[in-house]
Amino acid sequence: MVKYAHLIPIFPFLAFTVNILFGRRIKKASALVSIAASFVALLFSIITLFGLLNGNGSYSLGKWLAFGSLTLNFGVMVDPLSCIMLLVVTTVGTLIQIYSIGYMHDDPRFSRFFAYMSLFTASMLGLVLADNLLALFIFWEGVGLCSYLLISFWFERPSAAKAGMKAFITTRIGDVGLLIGILILFSSTGTFSFSGLEHAGGNYALFTVAAFLIFSGAVGKSAQFPLHVWLPDAMEGPTPVSALIHAATMVAAGVYLVGRTFWLFSSHPLSLIWVAYIGAITAFFAASIATVNNDIKRILAYSTISQLGLMMMGLGVGGYSAGIFHLVTHAFFKALLFLCAGSVIHAIGTQDIQKMGGLLPKLKVTGVTFIIASLAISGLPPFSGFWSKDEILSEALNTGHPVLFIIGALTSVLTAFYIFRLIFLVLFGKMRSELHPHESPKVMIIPLSILALFSIFMGFIGSPFTGYAFQGFLRFGTASMPAAPRPDHFMMAVSTLIAVSGIGLAYSVYILNNKILPDSFRAKFALLYRVVYNKYYIDEIYEFIFIRPCILLSNLAFRFDSSVVDGAVNKSAGITVMISELKSWFDMYIVDGIVNLTAKIINAFSRLLQLIQTGLIQFYLLVAILGLVAIILFKFMGGV
Amino acid sequence: MIPLDHFLILGAILFSIGIFGVLTRRSAIGILMSIELILNTANINFIAFNKFLGAGDGLGQIFALLVITIAAASAVIGLVLIIAVYRNTKNIFAENINLMKW
Amino acid sequence: MNSGLIQQLSSSVFYIIAGLTVFFAIRLVISRNIFHSAIFLAMVLMGVACVYLYLGAEFLAIAQVLIYVGAIVILFLFVIMLTASIHDRAISQMNKQVLISAAGAAAFLLLIIKVIKAGSWQANNPSAPELSIKELGKSLMTTYVLPFEAISLILIAVLVGAIVIAKSGKR
Repeated sequence: MVKYAHLIPIFPFLAFTVNILFGRRIKKASALVSIAASFVALLFSIITLFGLLNGNGSYSLGKWLAFGSLTLNFGVMVDPLSCIMLLVVTTVGTLIQIYSIGYMHDDPRFSRFFAYMSLFTASMLGLVLADNLLALFIFWEGVGLCSYLLISFWFERPSAAKAGMKAFITTRIGDVGLLIGILILFSSTGTFSFSGLEHAGGNYALFTVAAFLIFSGAVGKSAQFPLHVWLPDAMEGPTPVSALIHAATMVAAGVYLVGRTFWLFSSHPLSLIWVAYIGAITAFFAASIATVNNDIKRILAYSTISQLGLMMMGLGVGGYSAGIFHLVTHAFFKALLFLCAGSVIHAIGTQDIQKMGGLLPKLKVTGVTFIIASLAISGLPPFSGFWSKDEILSEALNTGHPVLFIIGALTSVLTAFYIFRLIFLVLFGKMRSELHPHESPKVMIIPLSILALFSIFMGFIGSPFTGYAFQGFLRFGTASMPAAPRPDHFMMAVSTLIAVSGIGLAYSVYILNNKILPDSFRAKFALLYRVVYNKYYIDEIYEFIFIRPCILLSNLAFRFDSSVVDGAVNKSAGITVMISELKSWFDMYIVDGIVNLTAKIINAFSRLLQLIQTGLIQFYLLVAILGLVAIILFKFMGGV
Repeated sequence: MIPLDHFLILGAILFSIGIFGVLTRRSAIGILMSIELILNTANINFIAFNKFLGAGDGLGQIFALLVITIAAASAVIGLVLIIAVYRNTKNIFAENINLMKW
Repeated sequence: MNSGLIQQLSSSVFYIIAGLTVFFAIRLVISRNIFHSAIFLAMVLMGVACVYLYLGAEFLAIAQVLIYVGAIVILFLFVIMLTASIHDRAISQMNKQVLISAAGAAAFLLLIIKVIKAGSWQANNPSAPELSIKELGKSLMTTYVLPFEAISLILIAVLVGAIVIAKSGKR
């Protein structure tokens, strides 16, 4: 059964082709094509999972490229990690596409949207199923392309076009590192495949460098500090895009990459610690920005960055299963958060939370699912986020990283705070502006509900109630993973405390002392507030350090081109003109002159000869007589 | 007896005088007169040769008779043309009739 | 009588007549007065008629005088008188080509004389019998009737042409 796993990405790819070529004609039916493909992929993923449990693992599809002594094999990686990712991507993808039928209903490029969504799904599934670094890189670029296409989907808005470019270029920087890392590994070992690389040895320092470089690719794709700047701007895209790509799946590709190459990191501890610290810094930094931001989607974007940081931290301290578990739960509740936000935006028409308030009575289902998702992300038991976040924090503490543990804990407090700040400002209190909200259509409500169910119950598969089935599954078929965690009640209490304190803080600030406390805080810590509110001026710093010189350089190059290169071209054209003028002069005066001279000579001769034609008979007769005399004379002289 | 040469020489002299006259006379009538002179010279030659060298059929004399006729005819035509030209242009000097000039 | 003397006499008369003819011819081409030229032409033609006599062509001599002097010269005189207004005695009748023409004519003459002298004529034996008019007339009507008829055609053409041309001016 598992031998058909490579078909999984083919279905969405076929949907992409159909939608691109025939989208105009089938219009609304393109959504059905896309969703059907996605659903079939989901079914196949389930079959693959069962196949894996029955013992059918990775397999090879055959030779792909061969040049010289090198042959690249193409194969499919079927192991627990890829199966989990398959299920997450297909499930979330299907639900979000169903939601998009309602959200993108009035858009003129409806079928194009679903074509891009299918292409993205195909690329993501290909990425997850790749069994060698080169194929992974190819699909990595594929998802990057789809991200760009979908961010700037409404390209008539210049801000959307710029955001797309920013995303592409920023992740490019990371991708360069990734490519160099891949090539270092290849040149050392002569193979790209994961299994081959895992069993090959190499220079320790070189491999450490390779690990750092591979992580830089993850930094770019998963929006870690310092390459996080593209993700908030990527919110210019439609909300379903933000939900699918920039919350649940694509940004998780970085985490997946680290997980896939985990043996590389764990055997080079320096790189692993680097991963952990970058993750922790990112998590705290992004959470702080989220607490003062006023745009729904941007708050959620920073939240995503922060949670990804947490995942990286979890992987970095050695908690392979913790990080992956959080990835799975995060996918569901973050997607739900974004879809709820989309529902709110669809209802109200603005993204500024300062203009919202008291929407809960009007948007019942949206509001309830919003609250469920927020509880999940805060880490309140028994929701899914609690189990995964708790495991990360306990791993951090138990593996001897207290600093990381504290940063993680503080981040979680901030997480709970800002998410409930959002909830209280949007759903409770009075309406702060004159807008008329209405609940979203059923096609948008149903996916919300399904995702909410996942947010509630997904965590249990990694909890003591199921005997840590998830973590066990991750270790399926291998012996090199760390042992399964045992229930740590202390940690659970700490996590609960963190969640409650965050929620309580938000409650007190926003419900009890509505507006007074925030304003006084803003006044007291004016400078700090301003810095955090402006995202620590990171974008401005980048602009100054990188973008301005780049633009200067390209201006220089442009001026060089137009003056020197174009000048040379124009000069040579000028020379050609001069030469042709010379030639024309030559032609006019000399060549034509010769012709004219010939004519003039003949003219002169004829003038001369004209004198004979006097028109006088007597003259002619004279000539005749003289001629006769001459002939006779000639005869007499003995001539001819 | 007068030898043939002398007749021929006489003819030659008259002929060259006639040539001179044709080439130099300005009036068209003068030219025509010179032409008559030339024709007569030719006649002299014919008759002379007929007398000295001819067969008995008098070809020379007959030819001379014909030449006289032709000369008369050409003189008539010439004079009529001169009259016509005189009517049109009031001018019969040969050097003024140069319409065929280039 | 002495035939040699008569012969000598006739020869010298011939030379005198020849000289006169030449003289008149020269005066013909040189004279300024066209009228005089016409008279000189008549003189020359009569001289030529005498030469014909010397050559035994009596009919032709008579015909010459009749036709030429009697008709043609008269015609010339008529035309001269018709165009008298422009024949002023003051205008020279020689045109610009005089010298060259004289030279050419002289050269021509010399050459012809040379040719004549170089020819081997049976010069001194007049072998041909003299023809009478009767013989001449017979010959004209039988052997040479074709030129005779052609001549008549020509004369008709000339007649018609002269009338036409002379007439066309009147319109």
